[in-house]
Amino acid sequence: MKSNYTWLILMFFSITVALAQEKTVSGNISDASGLPLPGVNVIIKGTSNGTQSDFDGNYTLQANNGQTIVFSYVGFKTDEAVVGANNSINIVMQEDAAVLEEVVITGYGNRGKDVLVSAVSLVTSEEISQLVSTTSVDNMLQGKAAGVQVTAANGKPGATAFVRVRGTTSLTAGASSPLYIIDGAPIDEEDLNAISNNEIESISILKDAATTSQYGSRGANGVVVITTKKGKKNKDAVIKLSSRYGVTSKIKDNFKMMNTTQKLQYERELYLLGAGSGNSPGVISSLEERQFLIDNSIDWEDRILKEGTIQSNSFSISGGEEKSDYYFSVGHDRNTGIIQDVSGFERINARLNTNFEVKSWLDVGASVAYSRALSDEPRDRNNVQNPFRAYYDYNPYEPEFILDENGSPELDDNGDPLWNFNHTGFLVTEAIATTPEIEIQNITFINTYAKVKFNDNWNFRTQFSLNHENYRREYYVEPGNRLDFFVGDPNFPGIKSDNGFQEVDYTMSNTLNYSFSNDVHSLNVSALYEYNFNEFNSYTLRSRGFASSELTTQINAAEVVSASTGRNRVTLVSYGAFANYDYKQRYIVGASIRTDGSSNFGADHQFGTFYSGSVGWNVAKEEFFNVDWINTMKFRASYGTVGNRGSLGPYGPQGTVGFGNPYPGGSTTSNVNSPNEDLKWESTAIVDIGLELGLFNNRVTAVVDYYRKETTDLLFQVPAADESGIPGFSINSNLGKIENKGWEFELNADIIRTPDLKWTVGGNISFLENKILELPDNDGDGIGDDIEPGDAFNLIFREGEAINAFFLLRYDGVDPETGRPLYLDADGNSMFLDELPEGENRVLLDKSPIAKFEGGFFSTISYKGFGLRTDFVYKSGNWINNFVQSNLLSDGLSIADNQAVGAFNYWKQPGDTGVLPNPIYGIEAQQSSDRFLQKGDFVRLRNITLSYNVPKIFLEKTPINSIRIYAQGQNLLTFGSSFFGDPEVGISSGETISQGNAIAPGEATLYSYPTTKSYTFGVDISF
Amino acid sequence: MKYLYKKSILLVFITSMMISCDSNLDQLPFDSFATENAFVTASDFENGIRGVYVALLGDSYYGGNFLAVPDVLSDNVITTQRGRSTLRNLHEWTYNAASGYRGLYQDAYTVIFNANQVLEFIDGFEGESKDNIKGEALALRAFAHFDLVRTFAKIPTQSSDANGSLGIVYKSNSTPSDLLPRESVADSYQYIIDDLELAYSLINATNPEARLNKEGVAILLSRAYLYMGRWQDAINAANNVSTNIASRDNVVGVWEDSSQEGLVFWVPNETGVIDSNIGVQWSQGSVANLIPEYAATFEFNALYGGSDGNDIRRAAYIIDATDDSGLAYNGVKKLLGRGTQTNGIVDIKILRAAEAVLNKAEAQFMLGSEGPARQTLNSLRSERYINAPDNESGTALRDAIRTERRLEFGFEYQRIFDIKRWGLNVNRGNEGDLSDGSGTPSIVLNLAADNFRMQLPIDQSSLIVNPSLQQNPGY
Repeated sequence: MKSNYTWLILMFFSITVALAQEKTVSGNISDASGLPLPGVNVIIKGTSNGTQSDFDGNYTLQANNGQTIVFSYVGFKTDEAVVGANNSINIVMQEDAAVLEEVVITGYGNRGKDVLVSAVSLVTSEEISQLVSTTSVDNMLQGKAAGVQVTAANGKPGATAFVRVRGTTSLTAGASSPLYIIDGAPIDEEDLNAISNNEIESISILKDAATTSQYGSRGANGVVVITTKKGKKNKDAVIKLSSRYGVTSKIKDNFKMMNTTQKLQYERELYLLGAGSGNSPGVISSLEERQFLIDNSIDWEDRILKEGTIQSNSFSISGGEEKSDYYFSVGHDRNTGIIQDVSGFERINARLNTNFEVKSWLDVGASVAYSRALSDEPRDRNNVQNPFRAYYDYNPYEPEFILDENGSPELDDNGDPLWNFNHTGFLVTEAIATTPEIEIQNITFINTYAKVKFNDNWNFRTQFSLNHENYRREYYVEPGNRLDFFVGDPNFPGIKSDNGFQEVDYTMSNTLNYSFSNDVHSLNVSALYEYNFNEFNSYTLRSRGFASSELTTQINAAEVVSASTGRNRVTLVSYGAFANYDYKQRYIVGASIRTDGSSNFGADHQFGTFYSGSVGWNVAKEEFFNVDWINTMKFRASYGTVGNRGSLGPYGPQGTVGFGNPYPGGSTTSNVNSPNEDLKWESTAIVDIGLELGLFNNRVTAVVDYYRKETTDLLFQVPAADESGIPGFSINSNLGKIENKGWEFELNADIIRTPDLKWTVGGNISFLENKILELPDNDGDGIGDDIEPGDAFNLIFREGEAINAFFLLRYDGVDPETGRPLYLDADGNSMFLDELPEGENRVLLDKSPIAKFEGGFFSTISYKGFGLRTDFVYKSGNWINNFVQSNLLSDGLSIADNQAVGAFNYWKQPGDTGVLPNPIYGIEAQQSSDRFLQKGDFVRLRNITLSYNVPKIFLEKTPINSIRIYAQGQNLLTFGSSFFGDPEVGISSGETISQGNAIAPGEATLYSYPTTKSYTFGVDISF
Repeated sequence: MKYLYKKSILLVFITSMMISCDSNLDQLPFDSFATENAFVTASDFENGIRGVYVALLGDSYYGGNFLAVPDVLSDNVITTQRGRSTLRNLHEWTYNAASGYRGLYQDAYTVIFNANQVLEFIDGFEGESKDNIKGEALALRAFAHFDLVRTFAKIPTQSSDANGSLGIVYKSNSTPSDLLPRESVADSYQYIIDDLELAYSLINATNPEARLNKEGVAILLSRAYLYMGRWQDAINAANNVSTNIASRDNVVGVWEDSSQEGLVFWVPNETGVIDSNIGVQWSQGSVANLIPEYAATFEFNALYGGSDGNDIRRAAYIIDATDDSGLAYNGVKKLLGRGTQTNGIVDIKILRAAEAVLNKAEAQFMLGSEGPARQTLNSLRSERYINAPDNESGTALRDAIRTERRLEFGFEYQRIFDIKRWGLNVNRGNEGDLSDGSGTPSIVLNLAADNFRMQLPIDQSSLIVNPSLQQNPGY
């Protein structure tokens, strides 16, 4: 980016040149055990001059004799030293029991870690800065927090992830994602890629009712609270520059596609069997023609994909005066992705966070941030337009251009080569060149507050948070291209579609707080009044007839084909009261109650009340407890209720019709929604029991949690009979009950902790079990009816069974005598397809796309300035329906498409076992069955980073405070996978089942953007 | 307690700013409208009845693959190697309960629900258009049920056990919670007749284009009676159709939308209104660069006499096309496009006067009136051929009527139902997909008349949501 230079210039000008008449004081700061303390604030008393200790605990600043230097650090007693004759002042800081060592942001109330009695996972800015160079925050959470299941949507640059906090709490599309709150305002999961990692101070994932219940009706799926950075008062400006550059590419498949010779051979073999096509090149071409095809072969994966580049630059300034602080940042990210001629994802973002103490009793503050993300979109659909399908389907003997007898492209009248629309009738490279699709997402965040302190006990805070998204998509079928040839009108060449929306979501929040604490008691009570407003305005326009492909705005179109706008609005009013109390941090109790009223329920059911209670006992704080090596031993338990309205449209209870579907003569009345005035809140009750341990001076920390979530009154599109003919063949209702339960373990240990060498390892594992307890019983037989969810493949919901279990016919290999495929009937008897008994032969398998256990582990080693960090993620016990494999080993059914080399391994003679079926039984073999259902287990080296902090000694003569350089690899190794293809599957096919609509992420592969690996190099500099 | 005054003012101000928020909990939709408010005035019911018609154009119905399926199941077309294998399991009769045709099932019941909704609200309406709207709604309800019953169940004349076999659920109210069992075939047809007869008595003689009228209902009645073997009733109903069939001069024009002669119920397919490229059912691309999904079978093309010009329908229905590698096909032209266009956008023709003629001829023959039957048949043939065949009698006349029906309604959503109701086997030739009969033949060539696959399966998902439904035998 050009403006990099501008930043550099700006930085150099902003460095204040060292002052005269002062001397340089330096020293080292360590804790009682001798470990260096980085990040300690070092300030000259009565001024705003100061610095921070570096990674090794060293500091340097200019001071006059007689001035007092103040050293302060969270969790330690503030220390002071007077500047005297000695230019070196070393400080050993003492831990401060009274100061809370870590404050956990829980949204409405921030709690010290010692007195927090809720299952909360925390990811700090230090960790974020060391983690994967992803463009979206949620991807980064994978493997970082126990009980948080993260499945990347796909490998597309800028793609977000499916995050599930403690399982699947809803059976409907898009209703199991957690609530994301950024500085007090909610944001959609799909929009998280608007937030730059560099801006994030901390991420708290609230998992149990003790904290999620404070979010009432929106807390059932857990809450992810993201706070952005802010400056520190009384601190000189710190300028940070981070820059990163790298390359990214597709992870190589673990199977091979046929080359020309092989494919021609395969076509011939199948034809001789009577299973192939008589028109195949492998059948009809002469020896000479075959040689021509071989000589002019093309590697389609190589042609369609590329090695992409990743670039990231960011710049921040933070600091503060006595009564104000500020944090300013600008960033630019680009990830071109791996498709040739598609420019991928690009984002620019800026933020300013400020806080002012305007009067002794009044604080005000504001955050303003803007993000613009631009994505050059490939088609993510399961048809000929998909580049990730094309390089599998196109035969290597099908050239990109029509070739003359010498193998050179034939030219059209303009001298351009003529595209060869291979056997699919379409050419992805032509489409990419002539069917541009772009998405632009502009998001503005504004957050302002005022806080009035009545006295030491009472205060009142009012906050206004806004999140405004302006989204635009443009899709252009250029005049005369292949798609236009198929779907366009030669009299009106070219089709342009523009669509987009404006979404405003604001929250006004007022809290009145009372707090009291002395050495024994600590009490905090808050009352909340909140109003949330969401309005969504959309438009879509389509025109045709363009004079030139250069003209892309619709003002140039010959005629408008369609135009429409839409709007909806949802409001939420909330009242809450929260209280926390602890006795000497030993005995802790908490309680909350919140009543939410939402506009998307029937008039008599708008309000729902949610509550929680929690208790904790920190045994280690007891006087009788005298085990030295146990520093923390906290038992905690909580119970509470939370709600969910996620799956419900804005006007769910109302029977409505629309008129947007024209018919000759005028408008038509079309049914939109079937009425159900009894719709009410879905509610989840959560029990959580946990134990937190801190051993050996907290060098080893461990957390164990057991939880059980029971969701009742599920908001559900209850299927109606097909004969009902109602819209969507379903009615919004509250029916059914599901359960998620499991164990979570987290362990971190500083194995070596010496001033020079530090080695920390940690990891987590989560076990999850879920079950459908009750489903609607329409037929009145006393047992809930099976439900086949829409927006999923081959799944069924059945009472008493696991959520998202696959429901499929069972494949039973091939008959060794004939090579004919065998299947199992419902009773498990093996037979040919046409022998299966009448009726239902599919069975519910003990297999689902939900992992039985998953998690991550990491190791960081630092020696002097060097650091090596590795992060692994793993998953086990999930199953994936591999439709891609089914197409690549198609038993002759897709003979026109290229096939995997493994397709040769079909039944050839009696006695063959463990082979593919005889292709003459292709149709029988390619029934929808569990034949391609495969384990999704894997362990992946998500991140490996080697870093080096340039020693101070080299930087002394420069204005630079610290330099960190690093090399990072992402997804370099994968272990333990037996999957055909890449086992990390999220979206199957984005335009078949969109991310927002997916019920069962990772259920199937269908040519979505593949996972990529990358190598990046970066430098972080601070002044 | 310094500044208490200021602080309190601030608190009061902020609190009062928020106090009005509760009233915002009652939100009404912007993009839609409460159902009961949508059926009040005469123009509401015009919108409402058009809402029933527009549902006919579902993706699996007359706006999509129902335009192809009845021919794909039959001997009229052959899947091409150049195509994308669409509807292949229907062509090869490999469908089962997992891969049935739920789209049609749902689309047809959507029409029925919309019709029932209009019928329920119309009782409270006393405007001048009441009878006509009611007649249209009843006719559409019957029409959708009729398409369902002939696809998923036996046809009364198909076999001796047909009338007692499983028909379809006849849905005559809009209550979504009903879980109804299937009626018998006989009862299903009786409900259809009842609705159509009542519709015939209520509906206007003429209605705006894209709407049914008395003659449209009469064609449906003659078809239903013909399927039931009530020959005289079929003749009587056909006699109520006075629209002329397309003259020879206009046959090509009808399929290029330059003439509407002989059309009784059709839906203009215009930009900004319907704008659906329905031709994708048969092929994509241009005449010189066609990607055909299906082509006319070698045998069927020959039945039109090839390109000798004697039968004008060859030019109107079939196009000599080649794909990008130069292979030649007997492409299906009916939905190809207007004039020289090949974008697949033409008006959707649903009922034509020619059907009344052929229904009548067949019924007359079945009553033994060979002379009148031949005369009726000739009234059509004289507008199709330069030198029309003539003078058949006995079985030859019956076969001539059947052949003429196949030729007239080739690629026009009738063929498999005719084969079914005549109790015939589907017999495809062994020729390939190319125009000269070379290329790849259909994988499966024959389907016996008594094969259970003559009735498409009820989708297993439909069975799950309605446990009262019974699957067709064999699946």
